[in-house]
Amino acid sequence: MARERHASEDYARPVRRILIGLLLLALFAVFLLWRIDGPRVERFRAALIDRIVPSFSWALVPVARFSEMVESFQSYQKIYEQNQKLRRDLRQMRAWKEAALQLEQENAKLLTLNRVRIDPKLTFITGVVLADSGSPFRQSVLLNIGSRDGIVDGWAATDGLGLVGRISGVGRNSSRVILLTDSNSRIPVTIQPSGQKAILSGDNSRLPPLDFLDAPEAVRPGDRVVSSGDGGVFPPGLLVGHVVLGSDGRLRVQLTADYDRLEFLRVLRNYTVGRVTDTGSLVIPRHTGSAEADLPPSPEAGDD
Amino acid sequence: MTDPRLRARILRWALFVALAGAVYFLRLLPTGSGSGGIPGPDWEILLAFAWVLRRPDCIPAVLFAAVVFLGDILFLRPPGLWSVIALIGLEFLRSRARFASGLPLLFEWALVGTVLLLMTLGNRIALTVFLLPRPEATLDILHLGMNLLAYPFVVGASGWLFGVRHELPGGQGEPGQRP
Repeated sequence: MARERHASEDYARPVRRILIGLLLLALFAVFLLWRIDGPRVERFRAALIDRIVPSFSWALVPVARFSEMVESFQSYQKIYEQNQKLRRDLRQMRAWKEAALQLEQENAKLLTLNRVRIDPKLTFITGVVLADSGSPFRQSVLLNIGSRDGIVDGWAATDGLGLVGRISGVGRNSSRVILLTDSNSRIPVTIQPSGQKAILSGDNSRLPPLDFLDAPEAVRPGDRVVSSGDGGVFPPGLLVGHVVLGSDGRLRVQLTADYDRLEFLRVLRNYTVGRVTDTGSLVIPRHTGSAEADLPPSPEAGDD
Repeated sequence: MTDPRLRARILRWALFVALAGAVYFLRLLPTGSGSGGIPGPDWEILLAFAWVLRRPDCIPAVLFAAVVFLGDILFLRPPGLWSVIALIGLEFLRSRARFASGLPLLFEWALVGTVLLLMTLGNRIALTVFLLPRPEATLDILHLGMNLLAYPFVVGASGWLFGVRHELPGGQGEPGQRP
């Protein structure tokens, strides 16, 4: 028997080598296909994730909540300091609330004077964060809402306060949000008091830098950063964060959204977004109106 | 024919798949490790490398490729590229398994470290050639360092917990070693 095995092994080795070669070729072909026809393979990826991840959701959510409970239990040690800090914050907030109320009244008055109608198209769908495939290399989260709920690629996701990212990859029951910190994320922003336009380009760090700033001297740390809606990709006016000066001397953005606790995300419906159907439309979106023709075509155009 | 060796082997395949599944599951949890952290080691690849150097027959190439490809899909890597590179690394180590079986752990560590280094370099070169965005070099170096640090623990765990050790010559030998 031993000799039989030996003989069959001699015979098997070249066959095995050929099979390994075929396997390598097949994998490489998938990679090439992805490189040539990205959107199609990405749709396949979304479909596969859609099949796999929601079937884990019964386990994903409790385990994640449990680990969060452990984390917040650790923070009980600092509860006194937190309480003091919260009281101080609350006092400040009361002052702000007063100011906000006055401004709201003034705003309402002005709006009626101008007969402005607020865009009713910006409604939202709320989804639960299912999984977080965030590694230091890729920053994204999976939501439990997908094409079943009418989600479309390119819509903006916020955590109720600040912008979190945009939808990229929609399955039937799940969709992926590329966070603003991901190195593939580029969104056009406006810096508030000075009105400067810039591109917020993620670089996998917690504080994404501002690129293509026209006059950096006009921007100071502490300025508000909101999305500008240039190129028709994002709804304008969503709060993104505040400008800070990074340790490397670049102007970066401290994001308002709490990236440590992404539990529920609001996806803003925005039907003006151009759909990505093939590789060509990655470069030039078709739905840009004629008024926007002189604007940069799309945030994706810059990163290749 | 109920071959106990075949059964043990199939059990190990199942164990490998289960462990890789558990690793992926933990990595998918929304615990917000998020940005700026240190990239964790690739447990599934280290496990496969440690096992294939001890029992060359307990990690079939197809199984390994399927596991890594699933990782490519789930964790947003370019699909297929890292699987190709990892599979080449695995097959290289498999062909050196007999040579490595007599070496002390330190040399085995150096061998695996070299393979991991070449894999990382190859990945970066491929990303450059295909005009894809590369992660920062510091991240890749940190990742490699974490993999290197984790390897002895993987070896220890596979020895003590899962009983994957080197074959003793003349003991319960592999098919080819029997007289």
